[in-house]
Amino acid sequence: MPVIELSLSGRPKSARVVGIDLGTTNSLVAYMGDSGPDVVRDKTGNALVPSIVYYDDERDRLLVGEEARDRLITEPRKAIYSVKRFMGKGSADVREDLSLVPFQIAPDSEQVIRFQMGDRVFTPPEISAFILRDLKRRASQFFGEEVTQAVITVPAYFNDAQRQATKDAGHLAGLEVLRIVNEPTAASLAYGIDRRDEAIVAVYDLGGGTFDISILKLKEGIFEVLSTNGDTHLGGDDLDNRIIKLVFDEIEKATGHDCSRNPTLFQAVRNEVIRAKHDLSKSNRTRIRIVLPDSSSYERELTRDEFNRSIADLVERTLERCKKALADADLDPKQIDEVVMVGGSTRVPLVREQVKELFEREPHIELNPDEVVALGAAIQADVLAGGRRDLLLLDVTPLSLGIETMGGVVAKIINRNSTIPASASEMFTTWVDDQTGIDVHVLQGEREMVDDCRSLARFTLKGIPPQPAGLPRIEVKFLIDANGILTVAARDLRTGREQSVEVKPSYGLTDEQIEQMLLDSFEYAEEDVRKRQLVEARNEAETVMRAAEKALAERSQLIDEHERTSIRDTLAELRSSTDSDDFQVIREKTKQLDDAARHLAELIMDTALIDALKDRKASEVAEG
Amino acid sequence: MAEAVIETEQTPESLCPFCESKSGGGHFCPRCEKIQPVAATIDYFAFFGLPRKLRIDEPDLEKDFYSLSRLFHPDYFMNSSELERSASMERSSMLNDAYRTLRDPIARVTYLLALEGYNEAEKKAPPDLLEEVFELNMQLEELRMAKTMRDEEEMAAARKSLADALASLREKLNELDGRLFALFDGWDSSLGSDVSEKNEKALLDQMSGLLSRRSYIRNLVRDIKEEL
Repeated sequence: MPVIELSLSGRPKSARVVGIDLGTTNSLVAYMGDSGPDVVRDKTGNALVPSIVYYDDERDRLLVGEEARDRLITEPRKAIYSVKRFMGKGSADVREDLSLVPFQIAPDSEQVIRFQMGDRVFTPPEISAFILRDLKRRASQFFGEEVTQAVITVPAYFNDAQRQATKDAGHLAGLEVLRIVNEPTAASLAYGIDRRDEAIVAVYDLGGGTFDISILKLKEGIFEVLSTNGDTHLGGDDLDNRIIKLVFDEIEKATGHDCSRNPTLFQAVRNEVIRAKHDLSKSNRTRIRIVLPDSSSYERELTRDEFNRSIADLVERTLERCKKALADADLDPKQIDEVVMVGGSTRVPLVREQVKELFEREPHIELNPDEVVALGAAIQADVLAGGRRDLLLLDVTPLSLGIETMGGVVAKIINRNSTIPASASEMFTTWVDDQTGIDVHVLQGEREMVDDCRSLARFTLKGIPPQPAGLPRIEVKFLIDANGILTVAARDLRTGREQSVEVKPSYGLTDEQIEQMLLDSFEYAEEDVRKRQLVEARNEAETVMRAAEKALAERSQLIDEHERTSIRDTLAELRSSTDSDDFQVIREKTKQLDDAARHLAELIMDTALIDALKDRKASEVAEG
Repeated sequence: MAEAVIETEQTPESLCPFCESKSGGGHFCPRCEKIQPVAATIDYFAFFGLPRKLRIDEPDLEKDFYSLSRLFHPDYFMNSSELERSASMERSSMLNDAYRTLRDPIARVTYLLALEGYNEAEKKAPPDLLEEVFELNMQLEELRMAKTMRDEEEMAAARKSLADALASLREKLNELDGRLFALFDGWDSSLGSDVSEKNEKALLDQMSGLLSRRSYIRNLVRDIKEEL
């Protein structure tokens, strides 16, 4: 360890720190405005960016959000969604997920998942970085200046590797991540339940892929988390999967089609199921209709009762977690003063009913459950930027930290629900004479045996002077910082010398790998943003023009002369605009053409989908 | 994972790393008012400015915890120098560790015993409980057997007797806590008075014994709860 570095320069006071909710389904960015936190919206008023990334290796073309979502059906192998479920995971962790998504996993995915996209391979932090980059661009455009610092939220129950992967994603996106904040805690800030006396608040957060429950004590501006629990593998995706499976089974039984092997059909079913789920939050029954590759169609009614029955055990699992969090905080449900609902999946009526029943009170749903986390992140960003000192978050570590001891037993050194930053010191010594290194294995989890906990990292205490066994005394300090991420320092107590510790994370990217990725991603570098935007705008214009031309050539009989002329005119305008260097004009004109041709596109969509399915099927048969 | 954190030594005699005047071992330098690295030798009681007493006013402790949190927390040092940020991290983690330990009476007395040189309570069965423990293990085994055999009737019977045992153990715990807390007062009044060291030692011995017994019973309670 170097002697204290006397750099008193500090860092430049940040102009603008934004709050980012990097969600399983949608992501968004928020900021602190003059009258409170607000979300950044695009021209059409949308704040949510679908967390979907499309990459076309042949044309080296990257799309994020709505545009990428449009490709899910047409080119399912080139679009990645729900990447959050893969953050900080190895291939063995996600076997079940992989059976339900059409992604291809490259070899060498044991420690970091590698998605195969054409001839390129991307890890979850890189895919997330593309989403973050898009949010960064939105925010920078909104403020008219580059945004470089952010607070990013994660599920409270995320482990060390998942948090680190999120931080890596920020780094890869060119953002300095000032803090990783837990989503339910951020939400509680946004609700800012303003009570003069103290209040105990439960935040129930069921998102697209994860579930969290956090119990907080609010007193005089301090938000102290008492306990947290959750499941990083339980969310709206799992509700969808229940119905998707039901539909798949019925289709297979009726027609013999194996939907899971046809990515286009898979996405069509998934989209339809999600739509039906949304319907059932408002009405008691809905219809599911799927066009099959042979142009026949599958149709069924789905009632709210039937939906409720098929997801009942999943909702029950969240309640079990709530009870554990209550027990850890040593509280009865009756002692909870307020319950706050967060995450899109809390729109599901069964979820609301069950939560209300457990806590015996009406939960808060006043704030948009899709935006509340980002708003809270913006408030925390403001605190970190030095904007205010009246608020303070005291969060906890969700999982116990332990080290491996004799016989594969884990000795806990920092218990779950400890306020962070938290630290623990452990003494290590040698087992045999003249031993110069000691191996340390760090784990996270609540179980007693190493095999039942999550391996976090391994490191070796090196350079111990040769001495008789048991004589060296090496003190290792484990520190969980305010992000919930572990750092380790070691000191030889006999010499007083700091020991170097080279920590090898069990899951995730090494620093060297991240540096390499930063080098590799030069084509997306900041200096090239304008150029890239121009290229992208032209590409997009090209695509839309080609589609419009094709539609006109093949199906112009579907619309009248007036509409045809309007399409032709806007098409000509767009074509001449692509010669200019102004990507905004090109985008504007592209949108105009898109609008003008929308009606025609809608008319031919059904047939196009059927065609696409037929093509896909034919090509797969040919490949197989 | 990031690289190792910066670690420094700090004692009452040592100098403030910012202005090099005597830091006095406090949280902040009396001269330049900058946050100080944590002294390796400081204990949790001293950190809160408390004597080593076992009766602690918990609302007061919470109040101090909140106000010190507002002074130390890394959130408020984001734009400070590397050294100040590291000191803030150390100091708030120590604050959190200290508060977690002191606010809970059992953790508090366990910590005090460690400070006084007592090793962590051994978890061997107290002799007078041996018979009861033997009986309990039998009952636990019966429940496990009944579970594997899916014998509902046996399961219900085993559950009933275990629930009774659990209630009786909990009563024992309560009674133990009462005895332990009574010793707290003895210890607190002996501090600063001219009670002999021998008496102090006797008090610590008694508390250590009770803690060992308590931790054994708690493990039993945990095992039963898991099995039920």
